[in-house]
Amino acid sequence: MPSTAGLLRAHVQEPGADVPLWLAVAGKGGAGKSVLAGTLARVLARRRHRVLAVDSDPMPGLAQSLGVADPEVTALLAAAEQAEQGGWRLKRGVGPARAVASFTTLAPDGVRMLQLGKAGPDGLYGLTGPVTAFLQIVERLPESKSLRRWTIVGDLPAGPRHPGAGFSAYARLYVVLVEPTGQSALTARRIARLARGHLGADVLFVASKITGGEQRARVEALLGEAVDAAIPADPAVVESERRGLAVIDAAPDAASVQAVERLADLVLARRVART
Amino acid sequence: MKIAVTGKGGAGKTTVSGTIARAIARAGHPVLAVDADVNPMLGISLGVGMDDTERLSAVRQAFHRGECEQEPSAEEMVQRFGSEAPDGVRIIVVSRVDVPDEGCGCGGLTAHRLLADVEDRGRTVLGDMEAGTGVLARMKVGSLDLVLAVANPTAKSIEVARRAIQTAVAREARVLVVANRVRDAGDLEAIQAVLGEHDLVVIPEDPIIARADAEGIAPIDLDDDAPGVRALIALGDRLVAQAVPAA
Repeated sequence: MPSTAGLLRAHVQEPGADVPLWLAVAGKGGAGKSVLAGTLARVLARRRHRVLAVDSDPMPGLAQSLGVADPEVTALLAAAEQAEQGGWRLKRGVGPARAVASFTTLAPDGVRMLQLGKAGPDGLYGLTGPVTAFLQIVERLPESKSLRRWTIVGDLPAGPRHPGAGFSAYARLYVVLVEPTGQSALTARRIARLARGHLGADVLFVASKITGGEQRARVEALLGEAVDAAIPADPAVVESERRGLAVIDAAPDAASVQAVERLADLVLARRVART
Repeated sequence: MKIAVTGKGGAGKTTVSGTIARAIARAGHPVLAVDADVNPMLGISLGVGMDDTERLSAVRQAFHRGECEQEPSAEEMVQRFGSEAPDGVRIIVVSRVDVPDEGCGCGGLTAHRLLADVEDRGRTVLGDMEAGTGVLARMKVGSLDLVLAVANPTAKSIEVARRAIQTAVAREARVLVVANRVRDAGDLEAIQAVLGEHDLVVIPEDPIIARADAEGIAPIDLDDDAPGVRALIALGDRLVAQAVPAA
């Protein structure tokens, strides 16, 4: 059994370990954002990262892809309170680190899921408390020294709205999924423009649901840029989605899971390149 | 008649909206297509092309550039900032967020307000909504006649459609489920198992629609006799028949 000192040394010696690995997965609706974010979070957790999965999509998705049930109400509700004037605020003493420790949902492999909450029949109206708490916590993530050692994998709602509004300003790397369609490519271009210009972040393009080499080229033609990685169209994902399961649990050896493993290597290499 | 097209991202809202707008226009009825998504794509499915879709003026950003001294009425906005698409469809883009402007991302002109304020005036007003239920949830009771809930045969897509239907019903809009990309009886059963109590039309999985999506063109321009495209044209015809008051 390795000594504590040995473990510490191993942790510190990991290249780029002192640079926070904070990324967000973005793209058009249906591009595979939640599946990628959920699988990548689990893959990194299995590589001994402490992973915070940030679910800012009011529609269901990430929990299933992480392999955990969506809670009835987000755990964040308990972090918010109503002021005397009626407005919602974070409870006293709740900062990002405490929120991660106390108001997240535990998923397999130790991933902690911080959740905005899921829309009901009146949209987000019933969610004012958790939404307020969520935005304040997400905004303050960079303040937290202890969270610098965590890996953050954000799952954004469809399209460029959240990066445009700064709801994912924690992300230093945007992993932008692009399917081989005109709509998907146009969305990816818009997100990349925002991420690079407005937010000063790095962008990694991932071609999604690819069936052959010519499709990757097709994505690059539509995008007007090279893509950094590709994830194949995978019947195992379709089947696990249909059954409501995480693909990493239902089909751990699936081609798309292997592609996410390679993407994790690439993401870690990018981090080293930025040191 | 005012119609909103809603559903999960990637379910096919824009493709459905664009194709039925063209079909209604071809049937000789005026159509106002409102791109209510801050990631506007409706131009592509209407046959405007990828590059021209990127050039369509968004009303909110036009305000910010000072192209309007005082806020015009909804109808003036349609006339002033709308564009012409094939078959005479009028398209108006509400907002786009990839061009960050000053001010709050939700203040000023909003999609739900424009959709609520614009009168149908004998037209079919067709709103292509943002993924999820956000814009729909901000609309008041009675501001929409019909909500098309586009559902693919996946658990997540069906769940989002179910929530959209709850939201629509609470706003007293009629609901029509558009079961999209249906390959077989199993796909249809999966959708009907959850949404079966509602009126439902089936749009079969169609490689022509997939090819049009891949090329960034309108399916109706690629092949208007393909099975999926035909089913969407039939849906457009059905909506026209419902909008015309019985004699």
